[in-house]
Amino acid sequence: MWSDVVELFREYMGTGLIVIWYLLSLVYLFIKEKRTPFRILFVYVPLILLLLYFNPLFASVVYGVAGSEIYYRILWLLPVTVVIAYTCVQIYGELKGVKKSLWVMAATLLLAASGRFVYDDPYFHEAENLYHVPESVVDICDAIEVPGREVMAVFPIELVQYVRQYSPVVCMPYGREITVERWNHLDELCDAMEAEQIDLALLAPLAKAAGCHFIILRQDKELIGRVEDYHWVWFGGTEDYTIYRDMDIPLEIPESAP
Amino acid sequence: MVIQILILILVLGIIPLLVGGIPGYLGDNKMLFSLPLRWVGGQFLLWAGFQLICVPLVLQERNFSVVVALYWGFIFALILLVSAMGIRQRARQMSVHLKRGYDSGSEDSLSLLWLPFLGILLYQLIQAVRMTYGDGDDAFYVAVSTITDNAETMYQKLPYTGGGTELDARHGLAPFPIWIAFLARVSGMPAVTVAHVALPVVLISMTYAVFYLLGCRLFPERDGKLPLFLIFTEILVLFGDYSYYTVENFMIARSRQGKAALGSIVIPFILYLLLVLLQRLQEREKIPLSFYLLLLSATITGCLCSTLGALLICMMVGITGAVGAVCYHERRILLPMATCCIPCVCYALLYLIFD
Repeated sequence: MWSDVVELFREYMGTGLIVIWYLLSLVYLFIKEKRTPFRILFVYVPLILLLLYFNPLFASVVYGVAGSEIYYRILWLLPVTVVIAYTCVQIYGELKGVKKSLWVMAATLLLAASGRFVYDDPYFHEAENLYHVPESVVDICDAIEVPGREVMAVFPIELVQYVRQYSPVVCMPYGREITVERWNHLDELCDAMEAEQIDLALLAPLAKAAGCHFIILRQDKELIGRVEDYHWVWFGGTEDYTIYRDMDIPLEIPESAP
Repeated sequence: MVIQILILILVLGIIPLLVGGIPGYLGDNKMLFSLPLRWVGGQFLLWAGFQLICVPLVLQERNFSVVVALYWGFIFALILLVSAMGIRQRARQMSVHLKRGYDSGSEDSLSLLWLPFLGILLYQLIQAVRMTYGDGDDAFYVAVSTITDNAETMYQKLPYTGGGTELDARHGLAPFPIWIAFLARVSGMPAVTVAHVALPVVLISMTYAVFYLLGCRLFPERDGKLPLFLIFTEILVLFGDYSYYTVENFMIARSRQGKAALGSIVIPFILYLLLVLLQRLQEREKIPLSFYLLLLSATITGCLCSTLGALLICMMVGITGAVGAVCYHERRILLPMATCCIPCVCYALLYLIFD
């Protein structure tokens, strides 16, 4: 348990520099800050929280109730940003003349160099539309939606996490759960979809069994077999994906549909 | 689109500003004239009301429309209340407090440092619209909002794949995605756009409003330090991606998720309230009812945002309350503070029952 908690703290620290500045700020405030409210909030309470965080008994209780994945959020109670910023300004207040400006520049550079620019995160990219989901998802869902009912469609794995954010009426045989390795979700249909070469003899029966009205395939995937043999017809496509309609799976439009 | 945006400005801006007057009228009427405090405090009152209305209806498997109707009723009731209170407020008292100011950087307002602060803030808001962060958890939270707005049911459809399921009561205890669905329903904007575009703009602004409130308390002398403090907070946020787990990462990248709101708005706002409490204890001032109303709203909002919020908020309020009571020999604060944590305890118990 102790090692898990320490490992989690290490992961939370990342490069560690910001947390080091935070701890140094705590020491600075412990020595210099005389006002009791600030000492309580910025020094005493964080120290108690850190003691609790590293307490194996407390950790085992929280692990048992809330799970190990979110234990690190206790560290959110440490006012890291506020304390570092406050300390920087307090030091600024103690300096005179040109040293003030030099300190502001030095502290700014130091903090920037200690962290990582948030928009450099590889998961950040320019939005393709005002839905903030890939344009392919928008185009495909708009094409396959049927008024008044849900449809079942199987998507390549890179799209599954976006589909139901955009369209609540497009259902899938597997979703985002398949992309999280530690959840250990296995799915034959997903394996068939993600194979380097798509073997229709394997994929088509699995898609039919899952009741998929539509099958969305990457255009760069090589197909083994002829789609006509499985009663698939070309339905549409985008720049990167092709949509097939499986004619064996009935898709009736309700009479009450607008 | 313009009408949708105007409705969101009304619901997320003007209404919280109006409702935020209630704590002021209840005792601390200096608060009436601090726009950031009115906005943030009003939003917390509204969030708390949403949590209290929504969770029982989720557990009863009622339709989403019932939540929308009752929540509108709650909003109108608060607006009526604040209007009635406002009429009773004398204009003479108002002018006195307008001169005094409260948690406002009025004397700092001419500092040139506000320009870089506002520039960096504007940059973050533009990035929130222009950039997107592909987070897998959105497949759950945003999908729940989209489904709720469309299907009328709450937590009864599988968000990842679709299809009906038994009530997911555990997640239903922290219905932040349902609040997003409410915004989508009333504005007519798709829930996915509300979640990914509109909310980040509002919630990032609100985070800095809370930092501003904290800064006003930290630097009451108004000697130009407040904008400098805010610039440092911006730098720490912008370069806060030093690990995947930081609250700054959640704030910028996943603002639409309740846990991000918990870390970047609710916890800092409670920090602000606790600072107010400790400063009042220091000055031997009376703790007004309005303070406890805001603290209660914040603790309930913590539960709206995340099921773990109940634990985190109880820890924060409990530890600070105990240390404050010891340092100032003021045991009398313990009971009201413990009372403010009762909703958290109730939601935590429900979580244990449903887990």
